[in-house]
Amino acid sequence: MSRGLERRYRRVLRLLPGYYRDKWEQDMVAAFLDSWLTGDPYDDECILEVCKPTWPEVASVVALAARLYLGGAATPRRYFAWGQAVRRAVLAVLLVHAVLGLEVLVRTAWSRRLFGVPAPPAILAVAAHGGVWPTVYDLVNVAWVVIFVTLALGHYRTARVLAVLAIVPGLAALLQAQITGIMPAPFGPWAWWVLFSLAPVLAMAAFHSDAPPAARWAWLLALPAGYVLVFGPVLTLLATGNAAWLPDWPGVCCLLVALACLVHAPRAWFRQAGASGVWSLTLTLLAAVVGAYRIVTLTAYQHDPHLMAVSLTELLILVAAAALVAPDAARAQKATAAPPYPGTIAA
Amino acid sequence: MTGQAFFVLTALAGGPRHGYGIVGEVAELSGGRVRLKIGGLYGVLDRLAAEGLIEPDREEAHDGRLRRYYRLTRDGRGALAEEAEVHAAAARVVRARLGLTGLTGPAGAGAAG
Repeated sequence: MSRGLERRYRRVLRLLPGYYRDKWEQDMVAAFLDSWLTGDPYDDECILEVCKPTWPEVASVVALAARLYLGGAATPRRYFAWGQAVRRAVLAVLLVHAVLGLEVLVRTAWSRRLFGVPAPPAILAVAAHGGVWPTVYDLVNVAWVVIFVTLALGHYRTARVLAVLAIVPGLAALLQAQITGIMPAPFGPWAWWVLFSLAPVLAMAAFHSDAPPAARWAWLLALPAGYVLVFGPVLTLLATGNAAWLPDWPGVCCLLVALACLVHAPRAWFRQAGASGVWSLTLTLLAAVVGAYRIVTLTAYQHDPHLMAVSLTELLILVAAAALVAPDAARAQKATAAPPYPGTIAA
Repeated sequence: MTGQAFFVLTALAGGPRHGYGIVGEVAELSGGRVRLKIGGLYGVLDRLAAEGLIEPDREEAHDGRLRRYYRLTRDGRGALAEEAEVHAAAARVVRARLGLTGLTGPAGAGAAG
Protein backbone atom coordinates (compact mmCIF):
# COMPACT_ATOMS: atom_id res chain seq x y z
CA MET A 1 0.00 0.00 0.00
CA SER A 2 1.37 3.40 -0.91
CA ARG A 3 2.65 5.68 1.85
CA GLY A 4 2.09 9.44 2.32
CA LEU A 5 5.06 10.65 0.29
CA GLU A 6 4.39 8.19 -2.52
CA ARG A 7 0.72 9.23 -2.62
CA ARG A 8 1.76 12.88 -2.85
CA TYR A 9 4.10 12.16 -5.74
CA ARG A 10 1.41 10.20 -7.56
CA ARG A 11 -0.94 13.15 -7.09
CA VAL A 12 1.64 15.49 -8.70
CA LEU A 13 2.16 13.03 -11.55
CA ARG A 14 -1.55 13.21 -12.40
CA LEU A 15 -0.60 16.43 -14.19
CA LEU A 16 0.94 14.28 -16.92
CA PRO A 17 -1.09 12.84 -19.82
CA GLY A 18 -2.48 9.33 -19.25
CA TYR A 19 -0.44 7.65 -22.00
CA TYR A 20 2.76 8.99 -20.44
CA ARG A 21 1.78 7.95 -16.89
CA ASP A 22 1.07 4.42 -18.08
CA LYS A 23 4.61 4.27 -19.40
CA TRP A 24 6.67 6.08 -16.77
CA GLU A 25 4.74 6.64 -13.53
CA GLN A 26 6.13 3.64 -11.62
CA ASP A 27 9.67 4.56 -12.59
CA MET A 28 9.25 8.20 -11.71
CA VAL A 29 7.75 7.46 -8.29
CA ALA A 30 10.62 5.07 -7.54
CA ALA A 31 13.17 7.70 -8.61
CA PHE A 32 11.49 10.41 -6.53
CA LEU A 33 11.46 8.18 -3.44
CA ASP A 34 15.07 7.10 -4.03
CA SER A 35 16.03 10.77 -3.91
CA TRP A 36 14.68 10.97 -0.33
CA LEU A 37 15.28 7.64 1.35
CA THR A 38 18.42 7.07 3.37
CA GLY A 39 18.30 3.33 4.11
CA ASP A 40 17.84 4.00 7.84
CA PRO A 41 14.44 2.45 8.78
CA TYR A 42 13.55 5.09 11.40
CA ASP A 43 14.52 8.08 9.22
CA ASP A 44 12.78 6.58 6.19
CA GLU A 45 9.60 6.02 8.19
CA CYS A 46 9.53 9.71 9.16
CA ILE A 47 10.37 10.83 5.63
CA LEU A 48 7.59 8.72 4.09
CA GLU A 49 5.02 10.10 6.52
CA VAL A 50 6.01 13.75 6.74
CA CYS A 51 7.88 14.94 3.64
CA LYS A 52 6.28 16.50 0.59
CA PRO A 53 7.43 16.95 -3.01
CA THR A 54 9.62 20.04 -3.27
CA TRP A 55 8.69 23.00 -5.45
CA PRO A 56 11.55 22.42 -7.92
CA GLU A 57 10.35 18.79 -8.32
CA VAL A 58 6.78 19.94 -8.90
CA ALA A 59 8.04 22.58 -11.34
CA SER A 60 9.95 19.92 -13.29
CA VAL A 61 6.76 17.84 -13.60
CA VAL A 62 4.73 20.91 -14.64
CA ALA A 63 7.35 21.71 -17.30
CA LEU A 64 7.24 18.11 -18.53
CA ALA A 65 3.42 18.19 -18.62
CA ALA A 66 3.40 21.43 -20.66
CA ARG A 67 5.87 19.87 -23.08
CA LEU A 68 3.74 16.73 -23.46
CA TYR A 69 0.32 18.38 -23.77
CA LEU A 70 1.72 20.90 -26.27
CA GLY A 71 3.33 18.03 -28.11
CA GLY A 72 6.17 18.00 -30.56
CA ALA A 73 7.87 15.14 -32.34
CA ALA A 74 6.77 11.59 -31.54
CA THR A 75 3.75 12.51 -29.38
CA PRO A 76 0.20 11.16 -29.82
CA ARG A 77 -1.85 12.85 -32.57
CA ARG A 78 -4.13 14.79 -30.24
CA TYR A 79 -1.28 16.41 -28.30
CA PHE A 80 0.71 17.13 -31.44
CA ALA A 81 -2.30 18.85 -33.05
CA TRP A 82 -2.79 21.02 -29.94
CA GLY A 83 0.92 21.79 -29.75
CA GLN A 84 0.99 22.90 -33.39
CA ALA A 85 -2.22 24.92 -33.00
CA VAL A 86 -0.92 26.72 -29.92
CA ARG A 87 2.43 27.44 -31.59
CA ARG A 88 0.69 28.92 -34.62
CA ALA A 89 -1.75 30.89 -32.45
CA VAL A 90 1.16 32.36 -30.47
CA LEU A 91 2.93 33.32 -33.69
CA ALA A 92 -0.31 34.91 -34.96
CA VAL A 93 -0.77 36.97 -31.79
CA LEU A 94 2.86 38.02 -31.85
CA LEU A 95 2.38 38.94 -35.51
CA VAL A 96 -0.38 41.35 -34.44
CA HIS A 97 1.94 42.91 -31.86
CA ALA A 98 4.69 43.13 -34.46
CA VAL A 99 2.36 44.81 -36.98
CA LEU A 100 1.48 47.39 -34.30
CA GLY A 101 5.21 47.88 -33.67
CA LEU A 102 5.85 48.31 -37.37
CA GLU A 103 3.12 50.94 -37.44
CA VAL A 104 4.98 52.93 -34.75
CA LEU A 105 8.16 52.76 -36.84
CA VAL A 106 6.44 53.69 -40.11
CA ARG A 107 4.41 56.56 -38.67
CA THR A 108 7.43 57.96 -36.80
CA ALA A 109 9.65 57.74 -39.89
CA TRP A 110 6.92 59.26 -42.07
CA SER A 111 6.20 62.11 -39.64
CA ARG A 112 9.88 62.99 -39.43
CA ARG A 113 10.27 62.59 -43.22
CA LEU A 114 13.28 60.36 -42.61
CA PHE A 115 13.64 59.05 -46.16
CA GLY A 116 12.73 62.22 -47.99
CA VAL A 117 9.08 61.17 -48.31
CA PRO A 118 6.41 63.90 -48.49
CA ALA A 119 4.93 64.96 -45.17
CA PRO A 120 1.88 62.93 -44.09
CA PRO A 121 -1.58 64.50 -43.82
CA ALA A 122 -1.91 66.31 -40.50
CA ILE A 123 -4.28 63.67 -39.13
CA LEU A 124 -1.67 60.91 -39.66
CA ALA A 125 1.33 62.81 -38.30
CA VAL A 126 2.74 61.63 -34.99
CA ALA A 127 3.22 64.52 -32.60
CA ALA A 128 6.56 64.56 -30.82
CA HIS A 129 5.87 63.66 -27.22
CA GLY A 130 7.97 63.59 -24.12
CA GLY A 131 7.61 61.70 -20.89
CA VAL A 132 8.62 58.26 -19.77
CA TRP A 133 5.45 56.25 -20.50
CA PRO A 134 5.00 57.27 -24.17
CA THR A 135 8.66 56.51 -24.83
CA VAL A 136 8.46 53.13 -23.06
CA TYR A 137 5.21 52.41 -24.94
CA ASP A 138 6.89 53.04 -28.31
CA LEU A 139 9.97 51.01 -27.36
CA VAL A 140 7.87 48.05 -26.24
CA ASN A 141 5.83 48.19 -29.44
CA VAL A 142 8.98 48.10 -31.52
CA ALA A 143 10.41 45.32 -29.31
CA TRP A 144 7.51 43.07 -30.39
CA VAL A 145 8.86 43.19 -33.96
CA VAL A 146 12.15 41.82 -32.66
CA ILE A 147 10.38 39.19 -30.53
CA PHE A 148 8.24 37.99 -33.43
CA VAL A 149 11.20 37.74 -35.81
CA THR A 150 13.31 36.00 -33.15
CA LEU A 151 10.58 33.41 -32.50
CA ALA A 152 9.91 32.82 -36.21
CA LEU A 153 13.63 32.22 -36.74
CA GLY A 154 13.64 29.58 -34.01
CA HIS A 155 15.52 31.41 -31.20
CA TYR A 156 12.94 30.32 -28.65
CA ARG A 157 14.78 31.11 -25.45
CA THR A 158 15.73 34.64 -26.53
CA ALA A 159 12.17 35.32 -27.69
CA ARG A 160 10.77 34.10 -24.36
CA VAL A 161 13.08 36.32 -22.30
CA LEU A 162 12.36 39.41 -24.44
CA ALA A 163 8.61 38.73 -24.35
CA VAL A 164 8.59 38.50 -20.55
CA LEU A 165 10.42 41.85 -20.39
CA ALA A 166 8.03 43.37 -22.95
CA ILE A 167 4.84 42.62 -21.01
CA VAL A 168 6.09 44.07 -17.72
CA PRO A 169 5.70 47.79 -18.66
CA GLY A 170 2.12 47.09 -19.77
CA LEU A 171 1.32 45.56 -16.40
CA ALA A 172 2.97 48.48 -14.58
CA ALA A 173 0.97 51.00 -16.64
CA LEU A 174 -2.27 49.12 -15.94
CA LEU A 175 -1.60 48.96 -12.22
CA GLN A 176 -0.73 52.65 -12.14
CA ALA A 177 -3.92 53.54 -14.05
CA GLN A 178 -6.00 51.31 -11.77
CA ILE A 179 -4.53 52.74 -8.59
CA THR A 180 -4.73 56.39 -9.68
CA GLY A 181 -8.25 55.91 -11.11
CA ILE A 182 -7.41 56.96 -14.69
CA MET A 183 -8.25 53.63 -16.36
CA PRO A 184 -9.92 54.54 -19.68
CA ALA A 185 -12.29 51.52 -19.64
CA PRO A 186 -13.14 49.13 -16.83
CA PHE A 187 -12.02 45.78 -18.28
CA GLY A 188 -10.79 46.24 -21.86
CA PRO A 189 -7.14 47.12 -21.12
CA TRP A 190 -6.86 44.27 -18.60
CA ALA A 191 -8.45 41.83 -21.06
CA TRP A 192 -5.98 42.90 -23.76
CA TRP A 193 -3.01 42.42 -21.42
CA VAL A 194 -4.16 39.04 -20.09
CA LEU A 195 -5.35 37.56 -23.41
CA PHE A 196 -2.81 39.03 -25.79
CA SER A 197 0.29 39.58 -23.64
CA LEU A 198 0.33 37.24 -20.65
CA ALA A 199 -1.38 34.22 -22.25
CA PRO A 200 0.85 34.13 -25.36
CA VAL A 201 3.98 34.50 -23.24
CA LEU A 202 2.87 31.52 -21.10
CA ALA A 203 1.92 29.60 -24.23
CA MET A 204 5.44 30.10 -25.58
CA ALA A 205 6.18 26.99 -23.49
CA ALA A 206 4.94 25.17 -26.61
CA PHE A 207 8.16 26.18 -28.36
CA HIS A 208 10.37 23.47 -26.87
CA SER A 209 13.20 21.50 -28.37
CA ASP A 210 10.88 18.77 -29.74
CA ALA A 211 8.67 21.33 -31.52
CA PRO A 212 8.99 21.29 -35.31
CA PRO A 213 10.51 24.53 -36.64
CA ALA A 214 8.13 27.23 -37.86
CA ALA A 215 7.73 27.93 -41.57
CA ARG A 216 9.99 30.91 -41.07
CA TRP A 217 9.77 32.65 -44.45
CA ALA A 218 6.00 32.44 -44.56
CA TRP A 219 5.75 34.00 -41.10
CA LEU A 220 8.35 36.68 -41.85
CA LEU A 221 6.55 37.65 -45.06
CA ALA A 222 3.31 37.82 -43.07
CA LEU A 223 4.70 40.87 -41.22
CA PRO A 224 4.72 43.35 -44.15
CA ALA A 225 1.62 41.65 -45.61
CA GLY A 226 -0.22 42.01 -42.29
CA TYR A 227 0.80 45.65 -42.05
CA VAL A 228 -0.61 46.41 -45.51
CA LEU A 229 -3.77 44.38 -44.81
CA VAL A 230 -4.54 46.14 -41.53
CA PHE A 231 -3.07 49.60 -41.81
CA GLY A 232 -3.68 50.12 -45.54
CA PRO A 233 -7.46 50.46 -45.00
CA VAL A 234 -7.03 52.13 -41.59
CA LEU A 235 -4.72 54.89 -42.85
CA THR A 236 -6.86 55.37 -45.95
CA LEU A 237 -10.01 55.85 -43.87
CA LEU A 238 -8.19 58.23 -41.52
CA ALA A 239 -6.62 60.28 -44.34
CA THR A 240 -9.93 60.61 -46.20
CA GLY A 241 -11.80 61.79 -43.12
CA ASN A 242 -13.84 58.59 -42.79
CA ALA A 243 -12.59 57.56 -39.37
CA ALA A 244 -16.18 56.94 -38.24
CA TRP A 245 -16.19 53.78 -40.38
CA LEU A 246 -13.34 52.28 -38.39
CA PRO A 247 -14.32 49.55 -35.94
CA ASP A 248 -12.71 49.70 -32.50
CA TRP A 249 -9.65 47.48 -31.93
CA PRO A 250 -11.59 44.43 -30.62
CA GLY A 251 -13.79 44.79 -33.70
CA VAL A 252 -10.75 44.84 -35.99
CA CYS A 253 -9.49 41.65 -34.30
CA CYS A 254 -12.90 39.96 -34.76
CA LEU A 255 -13.02 40.86 -38.45
CA LEU A 256 -9.43 39.75 -39.09
CA VAL A 257 -9.97 36.31 -37.53
CA ALA A 258 -13.34 35.99 -39.29
CA LEU A 259 -11.65 36.84 -42.60
CA ALA A 260 -8.94 34.25 -41.96
CA CYS A 261 -11.63 31.62 -41.20
CA LEU A 262 -13.48 32.44 -44.42
CA VAL A 263 -10.30 32.21 -46.50
CA HIS A 264 -9.43 28.87 -44.88
CA ALA A 265 -12.97 27.41 -44.97
CA PRO A 266 -12.77 25.88 -48.49
CA ARG A 267 -9.64 23.91 -47.49
CA ALA A 268 -11.30 22.86 -44.24
CA TRP A 269 -14.40 21.63 -46.05
CA PHE A 270 -12.75 19.83 -48.89
CA ARG A 271 -9.62 18.70 -47.01
CA GLN A 272 -7.48 19.42 -50.07
CA ALA A 273 -4.37 19.83 -47.94
CA GLY A 274 -3.23 17.40 -45.27
CA ALA A 275 -2.39 20.12 -42.76
CA SER A 276 -5.75 21.93 -42.96
CA GLY A 277 -6.93 20.52 -39.63
CA VAL A 278 -4.22 22.15 -37.56
CA TRP A 279 -4.96 25.52 -39.15
CA SER A 280 -8.65 25.01 -38.39
CA LEU A 281 -7.77 24.28 -34.76
CA THR A 282 -5.51 27.36 -34.68
CA LEU A 283 -8.27 29.61 -36.05
CA THR A 284 -10.84 28.17 -33.65
CA LEU A 285 -8.46 28.88 -30.78
CA LEU A 286 -7.87 32.45 -32.00
CA ALA A 287 -11.62 32.95 -32.48
CA ALA A 288 -12.23 31.89 -28.87
CA VAL A 289 -9.62 34.34 -27.56
CA VAL A 290 -10.77 37.23 -29.75
CA GLY A 291 -14.43 36.46 -28.97
CA ALA A 292 -13.68 36.62 -25.25
CA TYR A 293 -11.94 39.96 -25.80
CA ARG A 294 -14.95 41.30 -27.73
CA ILE A 295 -17.37 40.16 -25.02
CA VAL A 296 -15.34 41.73 -22.20
CA THR A 297 -15.06 45.03 -24.05
CA LEU A 298 -18.83 45.19 -24.63
CA THR A 299 -19.09 46.59 -21.10
CA ALA A 300 -17.71 49.91 -22.40
CA TYR A 301 -20.79 50.33 -24.64
CA GLN A 302 -23.59 49.50 -22.24
CA HIS A 303 -24.96 53.06 -22.55
CA ASP A 304 -24.55 53.27 -26.34
CA PRO A 305 -27.07 51.05 -28.18
CA HIS A 306 -25.56 51.77 -31.62
CA LEU A 307 -22.01 50.74 -30.71
CA MET A 308 -23.39 47.79 -28.76
CA ALA A 309 -25.27 46.61 -31.86
CA VAL A 310 -22.17 47.04 -34.04
CA SER A 311 -20.03 45.11 -31.54
CA LEU A 312 -22.56 42.28 -31.28
CA THR A 313 -22.67 42.08 -35.08
CA GLU A 314 -18.87 41.74 -35.16
CA LEU A 315 -19.14 38.97 -32.59
CA LEU A 316 -21.82 37.22 -34.63
CA ILE A 317 -19.69 37.39 -37.79
CA LEU A 318 -16.76 35.90 -35.86
CA VAL A 319 -18.85 33.05 -34.43
CA ALA A 320 -20.39 32.24 -37.84
CA ALA A 321 -16.97 32.22 -39.53
CA ALA A 322 -15.42 30.08 -36.78
CA ALA A 323 -18.31 27.61 -37.08
CA LEU A 324 -17.22 26.94 -40.67
CA VAL A 325 -13.83 25.59 -39.58
CA ALA A 326 -14.72 24.12 -36.16
CA PRO A 327 -15.72 20.63 -37.46
CA ASP A 328 -12.37 20.32 -39.24
CA ALA A 329 -10.64 21.48 -36.03
CA ALA A 330 -12.33 18.63 -34.14
CA ARG A 331 -11.15 16.10 -36.74
CA ALA A 332 -7.60 17.45 -36.59
CA GLN A 333 -7.09 16.02 -33.12
CA LYS A 334 -7.34 12.50 -34.53
CA ALA A 335 -5.88 13.05 -37.97
CA THR A 336 -2.64 14.92 -37.38
CA ALA A 337 0.28 12.53 -36.94
CA ALA A 338 3.42 13.83 -35.25
CA PRO A 339 6.73 13.50 -37.08
CA PRO A 340 9.34 11.16 -35.61
CA TYR A 341 12.48 12.56 -33.98
CA PRO A 342 13.98 14.83 -35.23
CA GLY A 343 11.11 17.15 -36.33
CA THR A 344 10.59 17.51 -40.04
CA ILE A 345 7.27 19.32 -40.44
CA ALA A 346 7.08 23.12 -40.47
CA ALA A 347 4.71 24.80 -37.97
CA MET B 1 21.99 15.87 -29.02
CA THR B 2 21.31 17.98 -25.92
CA GLY B 3 23.83 18.22 -23.09
CA GLN B 4 21.49 16.32 -20.79
CA ALA B 5 21.03 13.47 -23.28
CA PHE B 6 24.81 13.29 -23.76
CA PHE B 7 25.40 12.95 -20.02
CA VAL B 8 22.60 10.37 -19.62
CA LEU B 9 24.08 8.23 -22.39
CA THR B 10 27.54 8.63 -20.86
CA ALA B 11 26.17 7.55 -17.47
CA LEU B 12 24.70 4.41 -19.08
CA ALA B 13 27.94 3.68 -20.94
CA GLY B 14 29.35 2.56 -17.59
CA GLY B 15 26.64 -0.09 -17.23
CA PRO B 16 22.86 -0.33 -16.66
CA ARG B 17 21.41 2.10 -14.12
CA HIS B 18 17.99 2.95 -12.66
CA GLY B 19 16.43 6.44 -12.75
CA TYR B 20 17.90 7.95 -9.60
CA GLY B 21 21.19 6.17 -10.24
CA ILE B 22 21.43 8.06 -13.53
CA VAL B 23 20.79 11.38 -11.74
CA GLY B 24 23.66 10.68 -9.33
CA GLU B 25 26.02 9.48 -12.05
CA VAL B 26 25.32 12.52 -14.24
CA ALA B 27 25.99 14.87 -11.33
CA GLU B 28 29.29 13.08 -10.67
CA LEU B 29 30.36 12.94 -14.33
CA SER B 30 29.66 16.65 -14.81
CA GLY B 31 31.38 17.67 -11.59
CA GLY B 32 28.01 18.84 -10.21
CA ARG B 33 27.31 21.18 -13.16
CA VAL B 34 24.37 19.14 -14.50
CA ARG B 35 21.78 18.35 -11.86
CA LEU B 36 18.85 16.57 -13.50
CA LYS B 37 15.40 16.96 -11.99
CA ILE B 38 13.30 13.80 -12.14
CA GLY B 39 10.79 15.44 -14.52
CA GLY B 40 13.64 16.47 -16.82
CA LEU B 41 15.30 13.04 -16.59
CA TYR B 42 12.20 11.18 -17.76
CA GLY B 43 11.70 13.66 -20.59
CA VAL B 44 15.21 12.73 -21.75
CA LEU B 45 14.76 8.96 -21.15
CA ASP B 46 11.46 8.95 -23.05
CA ARG B 47 13.09 10.60 -26.04
CA LEU B 48 16.19 8.37 -25.97
CA ALA B 49 13.99 5.26 -25.71
CA ALA B 50 11.83 6.47 -28.64
CA GLU B 51 14.98 7.01 -30.69
CA GLY B 52 16.15 3.49 -29.85
CA LEU B 53 19.30 4.68 -28.08
CA ILE B 54 18.44 3.09 -24.71
CA GLU B 55 16.28 0.14 -23.63
CA PRO B 56 15.11 -1.46 -20.38
CA ASP B 57 17.67 -3.88 -18.94
CA ARG B 58 15.96 -5.46 -15.92
CA GLU B 59 13.73 -4.76 -12.94
CA GLU B 60 14.80 -5.20 -9.32
CA ALA B 61 12.73 -4.99 -6.15
CA HIS B 62 14.17 -2.50 -3.66
CA ASP B 63 12.37 -1.71 -0.36
CA GLY B 64 9.07 -2.81 -1.88
CA ARG B 65 9.49 -0.73 -5.03
CA LEU B 66 10.44 -1.87 -8.48
CA ARG B 67 13.52 -0.21 -9.92
CA ARG B 68 13.82 -0.42 -13.68
CA TYR B 69 17.34 -0.38 -15.06
CA TYR B 70 18.24 0.98 -18.49
CA ARG B 71 21.15 0.22 -20.78
CA LEU B 72 22.60 1.59 -23.98
CA THR B 73 21.60 -0.09 -27.23
CA ARG B 74 24.08 -0.66 -30.04
CA ASP B 75 22.70 2.49 -31.73
CA GLY B 76 23.05 4.39 -28.46
CA ARG B 77 26.68 3.37 -28.16
CA GLY B 78 27.30 4.51 -31.74
CA ALA B 79 25.48 7.83 -31.23
CA LEU B 80 27.45 8.50 -28.06
CA ALA B 81 30.76 7.70 -29.77
CA GLU B 82 29.86 10.05 -32.63
CA GLU B 83 28.91 12.82 -30.23
CA ALA B 84 32.09 12.30 -28.21
CA GLU B 85 34.10 12.61 -31.42
CA VAL B 86 32.34 15.90 -32.23
CA HIS B 87 33.19 17.20 -28.75
CA ALA B 88 36.78 16.00 -29.06
CA ALA B 89 37.18 17.64 -32.47
CA ALA B 90 35.78 20.90 -31.10
CA ALA B 91 38.15 20.69 -28.12
CA ARG B 92 41.10 20.13 -30.46
CA VAL B 93 40.18 23.26 -32.44
CA VAL B 94 39.87 25.32 -29.27
CA ARG B 95 43.19 24.07 -27.93
CA ALA B 96 44.87 24.85 -31.24
CA ARG B 97 43.40 28.36 -31.31
CA LEU B 98 44.57 28.95 -27.76
CA GLY B 99 48.04 27.65 -28.57
CA LEU B 100 47.66 24.76 -26.13
CA THR B 101 48.33 21.93 -28.61
CA GLY B 102 50.54 19.31 -27.05
CA LEU B 103 50.37 20.85 -23.60
CA THR B 104 48.73 18.76 -20.93
CA GLY B 105 48.08 20.81 -17.82
CA PRO B 106 47.69 24.25 -16.29
CA ALA B 107 51.47 24.53 -15.79
CA GLY B 108 52.03 23.87 -19.48
CA ALA B 109 49.27 26.30 -20.40
CA GLY B 110 50.89 28.95 -18.24
CA ALA B 111 54.22 28.37 -19.90
CA ALA B 112 52.59 28.71 -23.31
CA GLY B 113 51.05 32.05 -22.33
